[in-house]
Amino acid sequence: MTEIGIVDTRNIIKLIQEKYAYDFSDFALTSLKRRLESIIQQRNLKHPELLLSRLNDNPQFFEQMLEDIQVPSTEMFRDPSLWRLLRDELLPRINREFPRFKIWLPGSVSGDELYSLCIILKEIDLLDSVNILVTCMSSRSIETIKSGLLRSSKVEVSLENYNRLNGKAKFSDYYSTVNGTAYRDTNLIKNVNFELERIDLENPPCGVRLVLYRNKMIYFNPTLQLKVLKNINSSLSAGGHLVVGIKELLANLYNANDFILVNPSESIYKKK
Amino acid sequence: MYKAIVIGGSAGSFQVVTRILSMLSPNLSLPVFLSLHRLKHVRSGFLEALMMKSKIQIIEPTDKEQIKPGKAYLAPANYHMYIELGNRIALSTEEPVHHSRPSIDLSFQTAANVYRDKLIGIILSGANQDGALGIKKVKENGGLTIVQDPKECQVSTMTEASLNLIKADYVFSSDRIADFLSKIK
Repeated sequence: MTEIGIVDTRNIIKLIQEKYAYDFSDFALTSLKRRLESIIQQRNLKHPELLLSRLNDNPQFFEQMLEDIQVPSTEMFRDPSLWRLLRDELLPRINREFPRFKIWLPGSVSGDELYSLCIILKEIDLLDSVNILVTCMSSRSIETIKSGLLRSSKVEVSLENYNRLNGKAKFSDYYSTVNGTAYRDTNLIKNVNFELERIDLENPPCGVRLVLYRNKMIYFNPTLQLKVLKNINSSLSAGGHLVVGIKELLANLYNANDFILVNPSESIYKKK
Repeated sequence: MYKAIVIGGSAGSFQVVTRILSMLSPNLSLPVFLSLHRLKHVRSGFLEALMMKSKIQIIEPTDKEQIKPGKAYLAPANYHMYIELGNRIALSTEEPVHHSRPSIDLSFQTAANVYRDKLIGIILSGANQDGALGIKKVKENGGLTIVQDPKECQVSTMTEASLNLIKADYVFSSDRIADFLSKIK
């Protein structure tokens, strides 16, 4: 793979900032560099200069890149113990207090978290009790998620995870295969709202009871992590929950006592 | 002198790693990064098993955790572990490399970019090629490279792949690797 240097990376960030007003300067450097390298390789660009000229000349190329630069989730039901806890405890508990409640999934890329969520909601008969908002940085991600596409590399591991959480149905009930490609049942997401978001999640929705935001902030440096967290905090109602990745620790960066860590092993926080 | 040690291993490396950890100086003044293939859905147990005889504390880092001397950092299950500029660890859920997440190559390459010639890279027993490109990068950046003697490895694919790419500074038995590292302060 072509390796690009820090200077190349900075030049690419600068061009995107000037031409498209997206600010990637607070993305974590190593993973951003790797994403750019993989875009260069996939598009057969051979050199960072060629990426720069494509970006400069071709807004559609940038649109595509907005999707590719983000890291999709690894699988459905990643960390099955979390999904079991959401299904058996947290979601029913929120529902008892608020018969209808809002869930927000910021930074969505591949829809794995969304479809996982909708499946467990369906299995506990709460799918019609929630308003789900999915926000994506790229309009192409919205299209991908709406299509139901489940990458073949994820099918087996998602099935194993689903079995680990003792789902009520068969995992294969939730997707069908067309010409060798798996598509998830889009009926699951028919009431989901989709919107575009900015990198720092400015102008967040309000009155949210649960935010699922796992393994997204790991691609940001602490400055951007903090901005994003402030916006998530303002979106949540008092007592609302935020779930982040199991290796994300808000205390590493967020000194304000806005959140209590209520479940350390699954990284579930509650807004005070 | 050296500023960090990075160790990669897969099948057959567990006993070697525990032996190394049991012989390290308790006053070690540099960090050790452990990028070891492991079951992705098993979160606990591995760290505890490694810790049994270790002379230094082992941590499964959270994202952007500050790197401290004298600690070992174990790549968490189902995450890649990068060494980031600014003395922090960054985690990633990007695609597996050689079917592996954590990927040894990625931990080695990012450590080599940060520590350059002040890095010791060690490849142990393992059943795939992950790690070979990583140790090559350590070598290119002037770091010290050690590969466990393939003759002694339970599974020699990883060490042989490494030795096919570079001439390692040392090809050592596990005893000699542990002995060598025990003298580092």
